Amino acid sequence: MPASTAPDPGEVPDTDLVKRCQAGDTRAFDVLVNRYRNRVYAMTYHMIQNETEAWDLAQEAFIKAWRAMPGFKLDSSFYTWLYRIAHNVTYDWLRKKKIQGDGEFDDSRTEHKVAAGAEAVPHGFLAPDTALKNAELGKRINDAISKLSPEHRQVILLREIEGLQYEEIAATVPCSLGTVMSRLFYARKKLQELLKDTYENAA
Amino acid sequence: MKTPPEDHDLIRWLDGEMNPAERTRFAARMDADPALKAEAEAMQRISTDLRAHLPVEMPLPYADFFNSQIQVRIAQEEVLSHEPGHRTWLDWLRMPTLVAATAAVAIAGMIIWQQGAQGGSVVLSTYAPDPAVQARSFHSEEAGATVLMLDGLEDMPADKKFVTFRIKHTENDHEAATTTLYGLHDEPLLVVAKDARNQPRLLAATPRG
Repeated sequence: MPASTAPDPGEVPDTDLVKRCQAGDTRAFDVLVNRYRNRVYAMTYHMIQNETEAWDLAQEAFIKAWRAMPGFKLDSSFYTWLYRIAHNVTYDWLRKKKIQGDGEFDDSRTEHKVAAGAEAVPHGFLAPDTALKNAELGKRINDAISKLSPEHRQVILLREIEGLQYEEIAATVPCSLGTVMSRLFYARKKLQELLKDTYENAA
Repeated sequence: MKTPPEDHDLIRWLDGEMNPAERTRFAARMDADPALKAEAEAMQRISTDLRAHLPVEMPLPYADFFNSQIQVRIAQEEVLSHEPGHRTWLDWLRMPTLVAATAAVAIAGMIIWQQGAQGGSVVLSTYAPDPAVQARSFHSEEAGATVLMLDGLEDMPADKKFVTFRIKHTENDHEAATTTLYGLHDEPLLVVAKDARNQPRLLAATPRG
């Protein structure tokens, strides 16, 4: 499952904070929110490509986590558990959106809106033209991701961004290992097709 | 949609899910099949670019507001849970720790009531430490009193003492997620909160004589 961020020395471990949350300490939960909000937000954003909706879904994930906290037995890391909740919240939203939109996605969601100060591309000292190409490639990748079906988008993000193993993806979705591999295959084929021009022009 | 096993091989190779023997065999296949090699390399490039351009973390806009909204939502849900049909904050009082904290005397049971609209007392909640004991109450117009029935209670010693709270009104502090219970003279009697398991947590109590 996604690795939890290693706490800094002196930082209160997640397990201690979880136990305090389970005793009703909302301040402890606030610390956990601080710790993982950027990661959860990145996940929801990549899944739905809309800043406002991603923000709301990330918040919904934390609220659900708070509600479910009494049942969390610490049999996985807090982040792994939280991630599953966030993933389910987002995927449910996507499925509902798909049903409401008859399978079509709102084009406005493919517009890549990045908050002021957001660092959505890697750090580095790049030449302006390289930075521009990188930014353009990032936009095209986001556009391509948004055009995948929710099922394909889900597995490709779980694999490429969160680095989950096949078994972990199968458990999270949930589906069989064969389905994971099939979806990954078709998701990559689709991305290849969508990004074909980008790569050909760059060559 | 099913994919043929050779496509699974390509995916497994890309994701590093093959053992060394499988990787060697797949490399030999790619050497013999330039189209397969080209596809594998194209997919590999996409994987690399995805990882480079889709960060694992993104700065959350309005982060402080995000946190405060969560705290507000948690507090609001607690308030909602007080409405009819939900557990009420008075249910929180059904907890032995509260009894232990508030009672300097032995407690057989605890009732919470407040003044009704017509001046009578309304029992809002009862607590019995022994789950075999069922507490019921009713207001007797004839007696002009609120009667508490304790079914299943063993004979009670005559010197057994009761602790009661007469609640005139309550106030919720949404920010602190607490409820303060006030007595007949508007004096604060108890300050309670609810933990994540919907269990009562006594924060403060006025000592009882």
